[in-house]
Amino acid sequence: MYRLILKMAWKNSFLRPARTLLVILMIAVSMSMMLGLQGLYDGMLKNMIEKNKRSDSGDISLYAKEYRIEKDLKYRIKDADAIKAEIEKVQGVKGVILRIKADGLISTARKSSFASIYGIDLDEEEHFGKFSEFLKEGENNLKKRGAIIGLELAKTLKVRIGSKLVFSTQDSSGEINSIALRIRGIVQTTNISLDNNALFVDIKHVHKFLGTTSDEVTQIAVMGEGTQIYDTLKTNYPNLDVKSFLELQPMIQQMQDMMVIFNSITFFIVMSVVFIGILGVMYVSILDRIREFGIVLGIGMQYKYIRLQIFMEAIFVGLLGYLGGAILGTVLLIYLRDYGLDLSSFSDALEMWGYEAVITGTIKVSYFTSTFWAIIAASCLSILIPLRKIKKLNPIEVIKAEK
Amino acid sequence: MFDFALKNIFFYRGRSITTFILTFISTMLFVVFISWQDGSHKSMLENSLKVYTGAIEVYHKGYRDVGGNEYLIRDVKAITDRLSNIEGIEDFAARYETYGLLSSKEYSAASMIAGIEPEKEKVLSSIALALREGEFLNEGSGNCLYMGSELVQKLKLELGEEVSFVGGASDDSFAADIFKLCGTFKTGSFEFDSSASFVSRSYFDELMYADNKASYITIKVKDLDDVDRVNRDIIKALDDEDLESLTWKTLMKSMVEAMEVDNVFGYISLSLFLVVIFFVIMIYGFINVSSRIKEFGVLRCIGLRKANIFLLLVYEILILSTLAVAFAGPIATSICYYYSINPVVIEGIAEMYKDYGIVSDEIPFDFNLFTVSWNIGVIYLLNFLSVIYPYFYINSFRPIEATRHV
Repeated sequence: MYRLILKMAWKNSFLRPARTLLVILMIAVSMSMMLGLQGLYDGMLKNMIEKNKRSDSGDISLYAKEYRIEKDLKYRIKDADAIKAEIEKVQGVKGVILRIKADGLISTARKSSFASIYGIDLDEEEHFGKFSEFLKEGENNLKKRGAIIGLELAKTLKVRIGSKLVFSTQDSSGEINSIALRIRGIVQTTNISLDNNALFVDIKHVHKFLGTTSDEVTQIAVMGEGTQIYDTLKTNYPNLDVKSFLELQPMIQQMQDMMVIFNSITFFIVMSVVFIGILGVMYVSILDRIREFGIVLGIGMQYKYIRLQIFMEAIFVGLLGYLGGAILGTVLLIYLRDYGLDLSSFSDALEMWGYEAVITGTIKVSYFTSTFWAIIAASCLSILIPLRKIKKLNPIEVIKAEK
Repeated sequence: MFDFALKNIFFYRGRSITTFILTFISTMLFVVFISWQDGSHKSMLENSLKVYTGAIEVYHKGYRDVGGNEYLIRDVKAITDRLSNIEGIEDFAARYETYGLLSSKEYSAASMIAGIEPEKEKVLSSIALALREGEFLNEGSGNCLYMGSELVQKLKLELGEEVSFVGGASDDSFAADIFKLCGTFKTGSFEFDSSASFVSRSYFDELMYADNKASYITIKVKDLDDVDRVNRDIIKALDDEDLESLTWKTLMKSMVEAMEVDNVFGYISLSLFLVVIFFVIMIYGFINVSSRIKEFGVLRCIGLRKANIFLLLVYEILILSTLAVAFAGPIATSICYYYSINPVVIEGIAEMYKDYGIVSDEIPFDFNLFTVSWNIGVIYLLNFLSVIYPYFYINSFRPIEATRHV
């Protein structure tokens, strides 16, 4: 019996093939567009978060108390090497890095701007966040007073590889000090503050320049996910300012929240409209066959079997639409992941805002599962009104009625 | 045909109501969304222009791209004399900008220091209005410094305290002086407030050896929409290949591009809704048409041409769309108008997005009847497109065949 119902449902789904195909096309096109959009927006944010972590804060960063408010070298972490060694032993920690930073004035022969000098160990940065992947031009080399400069800062100063510049700031004793450097590389980290202001120099040179000792730093960045590491560091270092990535970047937290809200609203609106589309087709499809249903009820077929048949028809149409959407969506998402959306003509703006000129998407299984359940739900809900109509049928009247 | 279409609309109520509701929703969504998007962009631009950047700025060629003292404007007076005669200019002033290190007793910070004409800046920018403490500059302010509030905080300064300055003069010599903090300002633009300081030009020119020299001349126009015309007149009046006159569209290229990108993403998101709605309207139109094949067959048999059938479908969608737009249009326009006067306020958004140049928590909508009209035009177009497939579907039947259709 059930086999027969399934067979009838399948055949009836294509009783009016043009109509059914239109619904399938509607579901497929809207679903694939929705998947593409979600993947693109999530990809933008994911890319931004990942690069921010790799280039700057890691998952957790430690600062001396007051440093983040005062931004003064006076508030630096002492015994950084010992702390680093301790943190490396914490379970789940994948990498720890030390940095020292000072704000100042950077000048070429022709231009000046505000900048921040970052003392880094290039080998450790490579291990921590694959620093070399940020390189846009030049080489990953800080030897012989070499410096790597943020892309936007390089644009502001109109400097190129090999350009000389002078960075001036107040050292740890409060004196104004300057250091001459040569550009060896230009990086784009998509972290706005680094791209706009950063000048990366070997940490040993920076210590010498700022008059600090080798185990004094302004930031200890830790890579390693999980709240356990955060809790451990908070407990172990009560005298330091321990901050998670999202505490340091509230804007990204808000962006994430907004993205979830935006995606949910989009999802709800699109699925509501899809529901209206399926409802219309199912309703008309049932009205077209009202005499047929009257006859089968008249010859003794139970209502539950008719309900099952209609239910299966809606599911078939929904599933076919879903399949089409999943295939189209996957193709679109793979394209966006591998090739991205090329917005090179707006590269200035995107780079200024911390995005890359080619925006790549991401693929999550949840896109497909949530859409699957939404389409199944929309398909099932769409038959409720038509089913009420059949339930109220008087078989004899319907059979007698003119079509 | 029109009466016939009207009759059909009342007869096929289900389809009519659905098409009406969907067209209503899409019109509302489209008009309000575009108004909000354009409004937020316009507000960002206007805020940026109000703060410091001029609608037009005149530079010596090379100053922006190469920089350096050899690209300073050398004869400011000759240029300003010519600018005085150009129609559409509200006011102008020469600015001399340099970067240097400012130091308080304990702290130092890099700053952009600009020599300005205080009285003119009151008209040209909002830095005087942004006064927070102390007083704004005047011609006789001498060594008074007017400093951004974030920079004041960085240097831990109090009003009346001294600040030392070290930088380079216009002849590449070393320049140093002691300024006195006379006033602080807060424009809301984080970057600007944490990096800019101002001194009266009469004093600064002497220090920088910059008499009759300027980094650029900033110009305010009477009507921002007229900026391109005024700029052409300026270029003509200056008639100097060494000078360039640039409008805000070039000066703020990154911001303009950023808004274009934002528009691209906005339209992509919106297109998703419109495509889905288009499909549903088309499906309902198709269902309606496919249930009337017999009727169309009869109409063709009694002499109606294909064009008449097409006209009938167009009339039907025209009436339904016009009805929906007639309801949605005024409501959406009123919403846009209301929020253009009473902007939506999202507390904390300026603080959160300060790195992106957002200076206000207010997001005003843009009220522009032309934009509303083309938005409605797009909805009409989509609705008309939705009858094309049903029309071809009907025509795939021969009249006799259609009359027998079950």
